[in-house]
This record gives sequence, C-alpha cells and structure tokens, in this order.
Amino acid sequence: MVNQKGYQKGHENPLLINKRGDPKGHENPLLVNKRGQLKIQQMAFVLLAITLFFVLAGMFALIFLMAGLRNEATALEEKNALLLVTKLANSPEFSCGGAYGSDRVNCVDADKVMVLSKNIDKYSKFWGLENIEIRKIYPKGDTLVCTLSNYPDCNSIKIKSSSSGDVSGYYLENFVTLCRKAQDNGITYNNCDVAKLLVSYEQK
Amino acid sequence: MEKLNSKGIEMSFTWIFAIIVGIFVLVFAFILISKIVDTGSRQSDAKVAKEIGILLNPLETGFEDGKTASFTIPANSRIVNRCYPDGNFGRQVIAVSQFSFGKWSNSDIEVGFSNKYIFSNNITEGKTFYIFSKPFNLPFKVSDLIYITSEKDKYCFIDAPEDVEDELSKLNQRNIFVEDCEDDDEKIKVCFNSNGCDVDVRYESGTVFKNNEAMYFQTDALMYAAIFSDPWLYECQVQRLMNRAELLSELYIDKLGFSASRGCDSNLNSQLILLSSLTSRFNRSSELASIKTLANNIEDVNNAAVCSLW
Repeated sequence: MVNQKGYQKGHENPLLINKRGDPKGHENPLLVNKRGQLKIQQMAFVLLAITLFFVLAGMFALIFLMAGLRNEATALEEKNALLLVTKLANSPEFSCGGAYGSDRVNCVDADKVMVLSKNIDKYSKFWGLENIEIRKIYPKGDTLVCTLSNYPDCNSIKIKSSSSGDVSGYYLENFVTLCRKAQDNGITYNNCDVAKLLVSYEQK
Repeated sequence: MEKLNSKGIEMSFTWIFAIIVGIFVLVFAFILISKIVDTGSRQSDAKVAKEIGILLNPLETGFEDGKTASFTIPANSRIVNRCYPDGNFGRQVIAVSQFSFGKWSNSDIEVGFSNKYIFSNNITEGKTFYIFSKPFNLPFKVSDLIYITSEKDKYCFIDAPEDVEDELSKLNQRNIFVEDCEDDDEKIKVCFNSNGCDVDVRYESGTVFKNNEAMYFQTDALMYAAIFSDPWLYECQVQRLMNRAELLSELYIDKLGFSASRGCDSNLNSQLILLSSLTSRFNRSSELASIKTLANNIEDVNNAAVCSLW
C-alpha cells in the first residue's frame, strides 16, 4: 500500500503535506488566502443577514405595536367621551340642580354654563375633552354663538373649544334641557329649551 | 505536530467566533423579548387603569343618593390610588399592578383624572372590586365621591346609626355587613359606639379614628370616605374637593349677576365670597366644621330665596 509519493498508507509525513496534498513549500498561497477570505466573507454575510433580519423584524413588530397602541388609546378616549357625554349634564358645573323647580336629570343651567365658558381656562383639562358645546335644536336656524353681549338671544354656547375653535372630527352628543331664568312684564319664569350637548375627544 | 495544532486552532477560531456572535445575538434577542414582554405588561396595566377610570363615569349619581357597581379583572391585581392636591383641582391618579409570571408588574404608569375623587386604601388588592358613590354637597353639589373596596376586605359595621345601616343594607354590597358580624375576626370592624376596633367612628362629633389618626367629616359622604381610605389620602382628596368647591362658589357668584339682572337677587353674594375664601385657605379636615356651618347658613338662604341658585 504505497501512495503516489512513495509513502506507505498511514505513514505519510503530515508535516510535508498541506490540505490539498501539495508538498510543503509548494502550496499556492493565493488559493489558501482566498479560501480563508471566502470563509470570513461568508460568515460576515450571514451575520449581517441575521442582524438585518432581527432589526427588520423588530421594526415591523414595533410598527404593529405602535399602531395597536394608538388605536387602543383612541378607542379608550371614545369610550370615555361616550360615557361622559351621558353624565356631563349632571355634573355640578352644568346641572340645574333644584334651581328650576324640582331636581331635573340631564338639565343644563344656561346661566351657569355661560359663566363657565368665561372661566374655562381653569377647567381646561378637567373633563379631558377637546370641545364642549351646547346647541339649541329648536327653533331651527343659523348657528349664533352666544357671547355676553348677545346672550340669551343666541342658540349655541361654546363652553370649551379646541385650538381650531370648532367642534370637529369625532364628536358625541346627548339630548339635554337647557334652562334659564327669564323675565316678562316683571314676572320671572323658567325658560327651558331642548338642546344637544356635543363633546369631542382627542384622536391619538 | 505543530502544524496539526495550527490546523485545529483555525477550526476553533471559527467556532469560537460563531459562538461569541451567537451569544451576542441570543442575548440581544432575549433583552428585546423581555423588553417587549415588559412593555406589554405595562401597556396592559395602563389600559386597565384607564378603563377603571372610564368605568367610574356612570357613577355620577345625578340625584340618587348612592350607586353601587363592581368589576372584575382577570388577573389578581393591585389598584394603587394616588392623589396630588396641586393645581386648580389637583389630580386623581390610578396605577394598576397585575400578578403575572409569579411577580407583580411595576405600577409606575399612572393614569390621571382631575374630575374624580376616589377613596380607598393606598393599595387595594384582589380580582373583584366593589364601587359605590355618594354625592358630596357643600351646600351645592361639589362632586360624587367614589369608594373602592376589594372583595378581600370585608367590612363589618357595628352599632351604626339607623339611616347609615339602612343605606348600607340597600346597597347590597357583598363585602359590607351590618348584622351578626362582630365575631368574625377576618372582617374589618367599624364601630360607632365603642373603642378598639379597626375603625372607630364618633358620629356626633364627626371624627373617624383609623391607624391611630383622626379624620374629620361633616356629611355621611365624607364619613364613608374616611372609613374606606387611608388618612393621608382622605386629607388630600378633601383638599381637592375644597379646591372644586372654591371654584364652584366663584361660578355661583358670577351666576348671581345674571340672575339679579332678571329680578332674581338671591342675597347670597357675601356668604358665597366667604365660602370661597374659606375653601381657598383650607388645609386640614379639622377645618371642615366651620365651612359646614357657613354652608348650612347658605343653604337656608338659598332655600328661602325666590330664585334658588342651585
């Protein structure tokens, strides 16, 4: 069992034979370096690919998470506004209480909310709503926003307005009674109108 | 032999390099996953806290005297009740910590509300929570007070006045007992005519003793508030209520101008100014007595007026 180089099988001089069987001192150095470089390049590419994969996967996950979070936050704001609009008229800053006869549910004191609209800066974040407005729904006509000079000959009280100034975007409404004291021929009486309480919430 | 070793080193280096990089990638992935889990847990806590706050909206009572409700959270949870008295109305803050993977999640994500007044222990733990609310008037309605208790905290009211007993019985809240509960050591005992209970109430003098501290009240709404909450939380919430009462007084003072122009002078101006002044200087619940005396006078004048202000 003698091989091509004259050594017996199992007795080759390992020091004189390189990987490809070239005798020591006769390897092609260019080929050896290239193979090593190729291995390093392969590994670098694999690492780069793995890193890129994780980064991209992470980014996609983040985008989905953020979108989900935003939707959830908006849904919660909507839920808050929905529950708040049904009860807002009964909060002390709005409610008629017993000022117009017996205690009334969903009755808004027009005089009180006019005063409130003047001092709304103090209540800016109190209810967590963007806009609060009360609109008389009868008699129908062009919207005339109430000011201290034209009140009560107007049909819309803007209690809280967003920076744009309008009730816009997502808003919710509830029917209320809008009451105030009025005077006719020296006789004071309760004047109540049907109105809508409109609120809008912040979209996240 | 040296050559063979160098061949071995070449292989080892590749493996060592791959192992090191692999460890880095795994550690990075582990950190990322734990962060995502942590964020998810915080998100869940914040969502539950916000939902609790939202669920409390329907408890605005209108004119009924008391309302009760309950809610259940799937995981064992801690509701952390915090109160900040600063600003126009102060701030009611809720944080929720849920028990998952054998530990409590962080409760550092706070959800705040300015228009709510929740009275409870600083930390209320359980799965099912009972809520009831009661309006607080001074003499006009200031707010609805909300009391949160856990199913784990069972309250036994001993020798309560008849109207208090009736009210609690009508609530039908499962963790509040008014009869035959004195001998049960697991229950939190609220005594009206004896000392040495977990909570001692002096109904006539308007004082509640809890954790060796005195809290002063003037209406039943505040008495329940003192019974169900920690003393410092009670003081903070009462401070917030006084802030709101001050602004409501100012609102009614301004409304007087509108009413007077239509022949409806209620003659309450000076007393409302005094009430606004007293509530603005409010510091401790022991000052409630003088405010309540003034509030009673104002109520009498308002009731007698041709046009009542509220």
